[in-house]
Amino acid sequence: MDIKQNNKLIYVLLAISSALALILILIGFAEPVADAGGTNHPSIASMKIGGNGAARLAHVGNYSFAFICLVFLLIVCLAAFGVSAKKRTREFWIYVGAAFGFTMLVSWKLFMGHQAFLESGETTYSFGFPTPTAWQLYGAWLCAIPLVAVYTLGFRKFIYTAEDEESFNHLLKSKSDTD
Amino acid sequence: MEGFRQEIIVGAVLLYMVFCVVTGIWAMRRTHNASDFFIAGRGLGPIVIALALFSSTLSGFGFVGGPGLVYSIGVSSFWIVAVSSTGYALAFFLVAKRIRMIAEMRDCISLPDVVAARYKSQTVRLLIAITIVLGVMGYLATQILAMAVVMQAILSGTEMFASIGLVTCVIISSAVLIFYCVSGGIIASVYTDLVQGAIMIVAGTLILVTATSVFEGGMQEATSIIVADDSESMMPFGAAGIIASMGWFFVFGLGLAGQPHLITKMMMNKKISDNRTILPMSVIGYLMAALLWVSIGVIMRAAVIDGRIAPLALPDDAASVFLSVFTNPLLAGVVFAGLFAAIMSTSDAFLNIGTAAIIHDIPKAIRGKSIQNELFWARLVTALLAAVAAAFALYSHYQDATLVALLGAFGWGTFAASIFPVVAIGLNWKGATASGAITAIVTALTINLGTQLFGITFPYGMNGQLVAFVSSMVLFMGVSLFTAKTKLDQDINRMMDI
Repeated sequence: MDIKQNNKLIYVLLAISSALALILILIGFAEPVADAGGTNHPSIASMKIGGNGAARLAHVGNYSFAFICLVFLLIVCLAAFGVSAKKRTREFWIYVGAAFGFTMLVSWKLFMGHQAFLESGETTYSFGFPTPTAWQLYGAWLCAIPLVAVYTLGFRKFIYTAEDEESFNHLLKSKSDTD
Repeated sequence: MEGFRQEIIVGAVLLYMVFCVVTGIWAMRRTHNASDFFIAGRGLGPIVIALALFSSTLSGFGFVGGPGLVYSIGVSSFWIVAVSSTGYALAFFLVAKRIRMIAEMRDCISLPDVVAARYKSQTVRLLIAITIVLGVMGYLATQILAMAVVMQAILSGTEMFASIGLVTCVIISSAVLIFYCVSGGIIASVYTDLVQGAIMIVAGTLILVTATSVFEGGMQEATSIIVADDSESMMPFGAAGIIASMGWFFVFGLGLAGQPHLITKMMMNKKISDNRTILPMSVIGYLMAALLWVSIGVIMRAAVIDGRIAPLALPDDAASVFLSVFTNPLLAGVVFAGLFAAIMSTSDAFLNIGTAAIIHDIPKAIRGKSIQNELFWARLVTALLAAVAAAFALYSHYQDATLVALLGAFGWGTFAASIFPVVAIGLNWKGATASGAITAIVTALTINLGTQLFGITFPYGMNGQLVAFVSSMVLFMGVSLFTAKTKLDQDINRMMDI
């Protein structure tokens, strides 16, 4: 039972990883753009600038958005993979689903905020940074908090139950008896 | 106080080094065998592990290179910092419980021990051990060199040591590192990490307070100045662009669970249930220490664009110039001690895993048994490894700068690409095979080394480490699915059900 459920999830992980590889290949074949990785600052030698943001995203923007969404999906699937299959209850999947939903909100806000800036040339500021960057810095950091909460608060329910502890101690004891 | 700035900084660093030496002597009395030397006899509490984990993550790269990156390319490198919390979470979900279980069941003292138990393969053990040794040499050499360069900069500012040479600084800093690592092994290492972590948290927090007061309008005024100069460098993907940012996001986010110097520490806690508190403490500790990375970088970029400070000769000067211009001498002393702490906490972790690979794992993989009197050899090889890395760093600095850079490529990205699939996925999937593991490791090493050796670059600033990591993940799972499974040992099989 356990092996079968983990086997199913491994196919999901393989599919996501393969999709990421495919996106990298597509980016490799995308029409090149000058200075896509930045160029020297016109007056300060030790600094680089990004230049024309719209041009840099023209051929790879959608691939990149898909890439980041898939990485977040991979992250929550990997977190679930680390939990024993019999403890992946409906409640667990709801929490993990909510964590994924939050990551999608952050991705959307930072990508669309950047897009809006490229179109209008104007941005608001939040917590000291342009709003899309605030979503990146604070939002990407906060993306982990739901997972940290599931691990910490759900430790005895999903990660290492009293029953698990007993099983492990029993395993250790039977091993030492054999030795 | 300003007149004694240099003396205060030297005093703070000296005090810190004396502390390291005293800790080494104290830990020596608690180190009785190889298990104590390498994994502290699996007897460490949650606070020690949590601080050791995050302080080992944030090396000299975080304190010097991080602000330098923000100064140079804007917010691109924020992805490394922001995604670290996810990296810790994944490492705990995938690795923490199982690696600790195997360590206790099989008396493992190193990561290659764990993979050998999981895959029943000495080839996998050997490949992981070789990867670790190569990575450690590059990492250690860069850390020792960074430590010596900073020490030279500090000491040359005083009258007494104005003409001190780099070689002398390498000798002094390596001697302190070697002393406490040789005498106290991992026990000295983690207890110095505890204090190192605390210093880094204090330094990060105080620097943020200082940084926000540099411009009257706080951080928002600084970021507005950067936006007016070049908006892209302050937008979410920075000057390096979206593909480079995505690469860092992937390699540093997922890759944390593949760093041997970090996940080895997950074998050392007293109780598995401590993991529930270790994770949040590590995440918060890293966040506070990393404030330095973000705040110094942004303020220095804005200050140079605004004309308040002359352009830096090198981006890596950002932290030291910030400290000398904007901070009071006491804070500068704490931060410089924090910088040494960051470098030493990473170096001691690498020394420990490198030594284990050389005296424990490689002999075991080749001869089928470990060497006699491991504790003696562990101490000897720790000293030798540090000495070789120091010599290597100096040779590279004076003769051939590409050598350290080349092995530096065997750092984070190679560990991530070769160890993450094998350990993080392999410890949770009974279907993973030794053939899959070998393919993943060889692929990761080949792509990372190949791109460095032959100067191969990818379009849009795509990171070669990202290509290696995604390739090794796909191949690990694909090859495992299509190769014959070896029957797991009964204890490993039962452990993987828990």
